[in-house]
Amino acid sequence: MSVAATTGSPGSALERTGGGGSGLSDVVETVLDKGVVIDAQVSVAVVGIQLLEINARVVVASIETYLRFADTVDRMDIVPKDQKTLPDLVDGVAGAAAKGRAVSGLGKAAQEISGAVADSIRGGDDGERRRRRSRER
Amino acid sequence: MGQETGLFIYGIVPSDVEPTPDAEGVGTPPGEVLAIRHGELAALVSEAGLEEPLGRPADLTAYERLLDGTAEVAPVLPVRFGTVVTGEDAVHDLLAAHHDRFADALAEFEDRVQYTVHGRFDEREFIGELLAGDPDAAALADQVRGRPEVESREQRIRLGEMISQAVELRREAENRAAVDAVDGLVVADSPRQPSHELDAVNVAFLVRVDDEEEFVRAVEEFAEQRRDLIRMRLIGPLAPYDFVSAHQLVE
Repeated sequence: MSVAATTGSPGSALERTGGGGSGLSDVVETVLDKGVVIDAQVSVAVVGIQLLEINARVVVASIETYLRFADTVDRMDIVPKDQKTLPDLVDGVAGAAAKGRAVSGLGKAAQEISGAVADSIRGGDDGERRRRRSRER
Repeated sequence: MGQETGLFIYGIVPSDVEPTPDAEGVGTPPGEVLAIRHGELAALVSEAGLEEPLGRPADLTAYERLLDGTAEVAPVLPVRFGTVVTGEDAVHDLLAAHHDRFADALAEFEDRVQYTVHGRFDEREFIGELLAGDPDAAALADQVRGRPEVESREQRIRLGEMISQAVELRREAENRAAVDAVDGLVVADSPRQPSHELDAVNVAFLVRVDDEEEFVRAVEEFAEQRRDLIRMRLIGPLAPYDFVSAHQLVE
């Protein structure tokens, strides 16, 4: 079972994030505009409900983006990249941590992931990661 | 329609799937999740008030947790967030009308889950590499550094555009490299739209449960090779959101 917002072996270059346990931006990005559409015109039974506006971020290159990139260049030290100074390294680490924090607003919820659906055939309380559904159908 | 509640549909599963009592749906308080069965299929639903607006962070998270939790034990077809029907009869109609197509799609997702590989360039590292390898960009950078924007606006825009284009090119290459890195370990791949201007990789993979460990190892290696340049994340296991084509199933 996937637990916790962000994990990964110490030193690993890969961060692991369980489904549904990630920050809101991940959730929005993962689920928005996905899934089977049951068209209201096909099924009269579809009810129009009030959906809060959820916008995925659309990336469009713009002058603002260009100027921001140039601004970064302006702020970068002219030090060959294989000779990073210690403050550079520390700065980089702090930046990464701040980014991580900004997108993980749902830490509490993420602690509580549990199997939402279990197998009606075999109960499935063994905590095993494998699927528990019987294959005889 | 005069009634106050409808049924919020999360997804479609094989009929032998049973929600656990702790499964929580959307709404306040969270709705109880039920399975409505029809033939070989069941729809996971919960009652939702029609007056109450949906789409709060908690609703989206509940929706995704239910579907991802389900995907770990059984195949599931996510139904688009926000789909609410009038009642149980409507669910039966829906499952009956598309029974075979849904059943076939579920059979394809048996023992498969989605993982999304999402990486973002370290801005300074990326720009540093670009300037080191591209004399034109380096020359522009020299004209920009230390000069106020009003004096160097044109150069700044040109430099920024070069960087932006380099990111796009590199992103395409990294997406291809990610797909190559897990070749043979995935059933399908589906590139996703970038969600940030520094997105380096954004690809969804459909993975057989038996291949999960090996797949994760391959992604770890892929990430390790780019450790300084890309902050790499692996999101999943997930329900197969990117492998359900919205219009292919219901016409």
